[in-house]
Amino acid sequence: MEKDLETGSGPGWLQRVVIGRNPKRTALRIVVLSITCFVLFRYVLLPIRVEGVSMMPTYKERRPNFVNRLGYIFHEPRRGDVVTIRTSGYSIMYMKRVIGLPGETVAFHLGHAVIDGQVLEEPYIKYPCDWELPPRHLGANEYFFVGDNRSMPASDHYMGVATRHRIVGKVTL
Amino acid sequence: MKAWFWRVVAVVVLLGFGIWIWTILFPGPERVIRKRLQELAKSASFGGNESPLAAFANAQRVAGFFTAEVEIKADVPGRSPQILSGRELLFQTVMHARSALGGLQADFYDISVVVAPDKKSAEANLTLKARAAGERDIIIQELKVWMNKAEGNWRIYRLETVKTLSLLRENVAQGSACGALRDTTAYD
Repeated sequence: MEKDLETGSGPGWLQRVVIGRNPKRTALRIVVLSITCFVLFRYVLLPIRVEGVSMMPTYKERRPNFVNRLGYIFHEPRRGDVVTIRTSGYSIMYMKRVIGLPGETVAFHLGHAVIDGQVLEEPYIKYPCDWELPPRHLGANEYFFVGDNRSMPASDHYMGVATRHRIVGKVTL
Repeated sequence: MKAWFWRVVAVVVLLGFGIWIWTILFPGPERVIRKRLQELAKSASFGGNESPLAAFANAQRVAGFFTAEVEIKADVPGRSPQILSGRELLFQTVMHARSALGGLQADFYDISVVVAPDKKSAEANLTLKARAAGERDIIIQELKVWMNKAEGNWRIYRLETVKTLSLLRENVAQGSACGALRDTTAYD
C-alpha cells in the first residue's frame, strides 16, 4: 500500500481518478448531476438539431440548438421570435419565426409580409421572394409562422397559423 | 428490524417484477395499439431491392392493418386533398407506391393513444417521419388515426392528416418545412 502511494499507481490511484476520494460523495454528486440534467434538458432547455432549409441562413442544417421552454412564462411570444411548434409531441417540432400576432391581419404582397396593412421590416430575410398571399385574420389565440428562407415558391414553403398551445418555446441560440 | 426491512424490500421487488411480467404477458390495449402502429411503420418501409413477390406480400401486410371499409383523408402540402376508401384501393395504392419509389423509411413518433371506455375503439395522434430513397427532403406529417377491434385485432378504420400549421383559406398549397427533432431535430 505504501508502495502504491509512493509510486502513485495501483487501486488507490485508480480509485481516486475514477470515483474520487470519497465514493459516497461522488455517488451523491452523480445522482444530483443526473437529476439536474434530466430536469434541465427535459423541462427547461430542450436540445434540438435543426433539419431542413426553410430557416436558412439564420439557422443552418444540422446545427444543434436549444429551446427555452420557460421563455414565455412572463410574456407572450413576440413578433420576430424564432420558436418551435410541436406536432403530436416534442420529438419532432417545426422551427419558425413569429410574424403575426393574435388579432392581426397577415398578408404577403410582392414578397413582403404585410401586417394590418403595414409592410413588416424583416432584416433577417436574405433571400427575397415574390410571394402573394391574401389577407388572413388571426384569431384571439392564433399566431402566424413563417421561415426565413423565402427563396422557394410559397407553395413549397411550410408556413401558416397555429394556436398558442402549439408553441413549445423560444429558440435560444 | 433489519430483517424486517429486507423482507419489505424483497416483497416490493417481487411485486414490481410480477407487475412487469403481467404487463408483458397481458399488455393493455394502449400498449397493443402502439405496437401495432410501430409494426405498420415497419411494414410500410421497404428497400430498393424488394422483389415483386415480396412487394405484393408486404403491401398485403400493410393493408391488413386497416379495416375493409377504411377511409383515409390526406391533405398534404403541395397536393390537392384526397380521400381513399376501402382496403382494396389502399392495397393497390401501396403496391403502386412500392413500385414507383426506390425505397422508403417510415417511422412514427410521439404516439399518444386514447382508448374508449368500452376498450373496443381508440384514437391515436402521431407524427410520421418518412424519407423516400434518393430524396433529400424528409416528409413530416402529423396524423390522427381511429382504430377499433376488428377481425381479432386492432385495425385502423379512419386516418386523417393533421395540419400543424394551416392557411385556413387555401390560398396556396403548403410545402417544404424546416424543423427540429428532439431525438432530436427541428424542421424549419
